[in-house]
Amino acid sequence: MQETIVIGVIGSDCHAVGNKILENVFARAGFNVINLGVMVSQDEYIDAAIETNARAILVSSIYGHGEIDCIGMRDRCTERGLDGIPLFVGGNLVIGKREFKDVEVIFKGMGFDRVFGPDVDLQHVVDCLHQDIAVYNREHLAVEAAA
Amino acid sequence: MELQNKKIELPDFLAEREQVLTTWPTGKDVKFADGVKYQESLPEHKRFAAVLKKADQEGKTLSQPRAGVALVDEHIALLQGLQTACDLLPSTIDAYTRLNRYDEAAKGIAKSREAGTSLLNGFPAVNHGLAECRRVVEAVDKPVQVRHGTPDARLLAEITLAGGFSAYEGGGISYNIPYAKKVSLERSIRDWQYCDRLVGLYEEHGIRINREPFGPLSGTLVPPFMSHAVAIIEGLLALEQGVRSITVGYGQVGNIVQDIAAIRSLRALADEYFRAAGFDDFELTTVFHQWMGGFPENEAMAFSVISWGGAIAGMSGATKVIVKTPHEARGIPTMEANRQGLNATRQILNMVQDQVFPASDALAFEVELIKREVRAVMSKVFELGEGDIAVGTVRAFEAGVLDVPFAPAACNAGKLLPVRDNHGAVRVFEAGQVPLPEDVLTLHRDLIAERARAEGREPSFQMVVDDIYAISKSTLIGRPAK
Repeated sequence: MQETIVIGVIGSDCHAVGNKILENVFARAGFNVINLGVMVSQDEYIDAAIETNARAILVSSIYGHGEIDCIGMRDRCTERGLDGIPLFVGGNLVIGKREFKDVEVIFKGMGFDRVFGPDVDLQHVVDCLHQDIAVYNREHLAVEAAA
Repeated sequence: MELQNKKIELPDFLAEREQVLTTWPTGKDVKFADGVKYQESLPEHKRFAAVLKKADQEGKTLSQPRAGVALVDEHIALLQGLQTACDLLPSTIDAYTRLNRYDEAAKGIAKSREAGTSLLNGFPAVNHGLAECRRVVEAVDKPVQVRHGTPDARLLAEITLAGGFSAYEGGGISYNIPYAKKVSLERSIRDWQYCDRLVGLYEEHGIRINREPFGPLSGTLVPPFMSHAVAIIEGLLALEQGVRSITVGYGQVGNIVQDIAAIRSLRALADEYFRAAGFDDFELTTVFHQWMGGFPENEAMAFSVISWGGAIAGMSGATKVIVKTPHEARGIPTMEANRQGLNATRQILNMVQDQVFPASDALAFEVELIKREVRAVMSKVFELGEGDIAVGTVRAFEAGVLDVPFAPAACNAGKLLPVRDNHGAVRVFEAGQVPLPEDVLTLHRDLIAERARAEGREPSFQMVVDDIYAISKSTLIGRPAK
């Protein structure tokens, strides 16, 4: 079945090019893509995910403020009932040239399931989406059934 | 609000100004007469317009980096570290300030203090205020420009110009379409008329502030004619408000002939349109932006992109070049990386200084092509505005006559789709509603078809995506893998 995902560029970031390419790639990979465009707030992603029963949220950030903009995103998802929803983040996530593995630690610490650099192969992201959504569906549906 | 291309009456400007200065507490320190006096105190070599004019007369290409950090002392240290490697200094403003989110900028400043490193992507000039801006200007020995991406840049202009910055980048189109999502063009053009009127007011008091429409727009395969049209319109809007030093800009596409033709045609067209509008007392210069798209991660490869841009900037005769760094693929650079980009650029600028790009049929053809395209678009914009370029611009974006590829703004049609031809020049794949002459459209189609044949595939969105990534993957044209 066609899974719905929510994508967008977080915060005050106006970089639109990669966002338009992601929309195209994920749509061709068979997802129903809800693209919120640039300058998206945490609540806008969550509103859209709730409204469309999305199975994952993909946050992009290019301009360096990602480290500030993404704080609390996982808690906000949980608070609003999106317990365990796959949360991806990718782009140029911090200011300055830092080791990617350090960046990954920061964002995983914030509760993101997957952290990608700017040069990630998008097919790999698609594969991760399929994997993580399958797990989420299994666990999430199991929880719903039990409730 | 009735938008028109007409000089704002002084009483109206002053009434609006009172309100603008209350939008953040630091606004209250700004006094116009004091700003003029401070600008008068700057020596000639720290006056942006004067340095540009001199370079233009001497046929030199000046270099300028982008740079800005959250805290004042760190920002000063950064600019001091850069000024020995460049001719002109910037202060790049952070993204929160660009959206007038001064409270978020304040948080960014606090977090940066805590972290001991800048967590903002630029210098939050409004939060720091007038006295701190002057401290920056006084700490350096080169002219300083405000570089940003702010749809409503009125308060920022008031604070930084009174603070001694002598050049101001941006415009009502070029700082809306690529930088905002939901700001109306009427609003941003009107707010930039205010900025231009402020610059005009300084001009009336003997202070020449340089204005620079942002040339590259989305920085992504923008055909030269489209960015030229926007630069010319913003120049016309600025002149009307009293601006007299204008630097029109262009972002490198990577094909040598198209890039040199672009700078040559930009200067000629701007001069032609400005004079046709009745102005003859302006100082016109040009700026060439090194490749604004994705960069290779590998720093040696990045230097190659930087140097190629430096070479073309020099040979095209651009008055200044905006320089990239080897950290571009990873975002905000360190000071050292920024200096390296400047040094690489200076080396090549010096080497091409006395070389003239030879006249050729190919170059003349590109220049003529761009001129025809710009004239076709501009005449439609004037027609839509019934002679008023401000009104015409709003209607032209609504109609898709002006259309910037890959821009985030909702008021931009986004139907124009560019792609490279078989030699890497940017051509029009889908024109949308952009009114290019039929024979020009046919030419673009034929050139793209030639590439498609060479690659054994149909032109498609995938081809465009391949082009967007090509330079970061070490080629100019996004050919399919063999």
